[in-house]
Amino acid sequence: MIQVKNLQKVYNEVTVLDIPALNISNGESFGLVGNNGAGKTTFFRLVLDLIQASKGDVLVDSEPVAQNDNWKSMTGSFLDEGFLIDFLTPEEYFNFVGKLHHKSSDDMNLFFESMKDFFNTEILGTRKLIRDFSKGNQKKIGIAAALIGNPRLLILDEPFTALDPSSQIRLKRFLNELQSQMNITMLISSHDLNHITEVCKRIVVLEKGIIVKDLHTDSDTLNELQSYFAV
Amino acid sequence: MIVFNLLLHEWKKSLRAQGFYKNLAVNIMLGFFALYFAVILLFLGFSLSEILEKADSKLNPLELFNGAMLYIVLGFLTFRFLMQQLNTFQLPPYQVLPIKRATLVNFLLLRPIVSPINYFSLLVVVPFALKSVVGYYSLTVAFRFILIVILIIWFNSQMAAFLKRKYGSGWISFIVIFAILGSFAALEYFKIFSLFHFSNRLFMFAVMRPYGCIFPLLAAIGAYWLNRWFFAENFYPEHFNKHIKHDNTVVTNFSFLNRFGIIGEIITLEIKLILRHKRTKSILYMSVFFLFYGLIFYTKDVYMHNYGMLFFVAMFITGLFMLMFGQWVISWDSGHFDSLMTNNIPIRTYFNANYYLLIGFNVLCFVLSTPYYYFGLRIFYLHLAAFIFNSGVNVYLLLFLATYNNRRVDLSHSAAMNYQGTTYKSFLIILPIMLLPMLLVWVLSTLFSIATALYSLAALGLVGIALRNQLITICVDQFNRRKYILAEGFRQGE
Repeated sequence: MIQVKNLQKVYNEVTVLDIPALNISNGESFGLVGNNGAGKTTFFRLVLDLIQASKGDVLVDSEPVAQNDNWKSMTGSFLDEGFLIDFLTPEEYFNFVGKLHHKSSDDMNLFFESMKDFFNTEILGTRKLIRDFSKGNQKKIGIAAALIGNPRLLILDEPFTALDPSSQIRLKRFLNELQSQMNITMLISSHDLNHITEVCKRIVVLEKGIIVKDLHTDSDTLNELQSYFAV
Repeated sequence: MIVFNLLLHEWKKSLRAQGFYKNLAVNIMLGFFALYFAVILLFLGFSLSEILEKADSKLNPLELFNGAMLYIVLGFLTFRFLMQQLNTFQLPPYQVLPIKRATLVNFLLLRPIVSPINYFSLLVVVPFALKSVVGYYSLTVAFRFILIVILIIWFNSQMAAFLKRKYGSGWISFIVIFAILGSFAALEYFKIFSLFHFSNRLFMFAVMRPYGCIFPLLAAIGAYWLNRWFFAENFYPEHFNKHIKHDNTVVTNFSFLNRFGIIGEIITLEIKLILRHKRTKSILYMSVFFLFYGLIFYTKDVYMHNYGMLFFVAMFITGLFMLMFGQWVISWDSGHFDSLMTNNIPIRTYFNANYYLLIGFNVLCFVLSTPYYYFGLRIFYLHLAAFIFNSGVNVYLLLFLATYNNRRVDLSHSAAMNYQGTTYKSFLIILPIMLLPMLLVWVLSTLFSIATALYSLAALGLVGIALRNQLITICVDQFNRRKYILAEGFRQGE
């Protein structure tokens, strides 16, 4: 699904990301952990073609993402509030994204129905603009919008932060369902080691832009990660 | 003394704003504009007396001025109501400190009175008073006149702030204000009630008597207390924003655009963007004022053979919205740029949508400018040529050059005197778009005739319309080259 070849990103002569090779196969749930400045968001932005690589390529379905529109129809992503159109109401925003994926209003109703639990009556039908919602609810809106197009590739940057405990648990269940039923490829970063080991089957640790660990999740992974990050 | 500290903080805030130094070129240019207007106003002040003496009336200049005073007050009140930025002083960090509420409120209310921009009108009034009023009456009367004008400025700034705080700046307030102004003008015109006469009596009375200043003073103090009262009721920010939030939740439907597919969706999105942000809304209001720009030129014979200038005016009027919004079509999406770039929107579709939006604006302006045909068929030819040229040439230039504005634009503040996100590039962009065609028309009409000039520019426009696909491809390629620079710039807050 995703191939990374000789990928480098350099800002002011400082290399912030350097991945010689990385393959993420179809249907894999890929978790990215690392301290602040490790290059997680930079990597996601490179995959989404929002910044230009200093060297190398990211390929989605063997096509480079740079200067290309093809990957957009099968990718859902939410990194930060810049991915929301904050002067719309949530419904308007969902319908806008739905139209971009040629969804009918029946499709949208099904979608709203499936999100009912996750939204917990706080989001739909409030006639509030997205910019007036709390950070946690904005995050829910962003994650939900990323799922509208039935993406084959889902990219979420720290989806658990700012969510309330119940929503965190719901989101975890939700992501696991997507994983098992739809077989979508997921790229998720998190600072919470518990969550990420519960959701992802493969976990990569980044430090200062370099991959230092590439683990397949099993019962020891959490301990291994915890001892790695212990100071 | 605390008020002094607060003023100091405000000053530091503006000095330490990141844009201040980066935008030095813009600041210098704005300085020149301010100087230019100041000179024009001074000139007007010195010649106002002669202009008013020529008026067909038995009244002397001061009487005429005083007659117009209430209209001026209402006019400026409207202008301020639409344009004046509310003092968005950051209250919350101060609310938790041991500062008396009254001090904070006083600071909020009195700060505009210290701002020099409010006293620009004195540039007209002071020369007029010293030249004309002293001549007709005495120096004391002239001083009283100036004092009254200053009090009126205070009244206006307080009153506009109060009205805006109380009623917000939605469409409804806009319509109500225009209805009030319009009905006074109509009453005057049909000689039912003369506001002019009333205003003349009122202000002549105030100017001629030593205690006359008391009335405008009372009005200013009254407006100040209205604000105080409003703040006493609504001190907390949550109450402040109630109105603003309230009129935003009007969910408008542009279902007629639905049938145009994704392009229609994006156009709907842009229209919502314009209607739901303060800055874009006030540009819209300002544009409506500018529609009357032609009245200055088309009514005077002096300009009737200055074809370059006339074409400039025609281009300005028929392309008003496009010229106001065009170069910002991309940077206005700066807040949700990542969203547009990662969603299922091909870049070409994005550009097509912006293209049709601008063309739609042009058609709207062309229709709105039809009343100008009253000044003759030549205006129609001028407007038609300008409209075709705008839609066939300038539209691509704007789309192309829009990729150079890579500063994040904050849309939540009002537009008057708001140059956040503006760089020297924004001014440079206007040059080829407005000056080149003006020059071209001037050369062609001098060498051949005005008809040749208009035909040539219209032909250029038609060629541009015919080559739409190719020209948009050029814009798309340009965008792809600039995409990362734009995305990077938009992510950085100022």
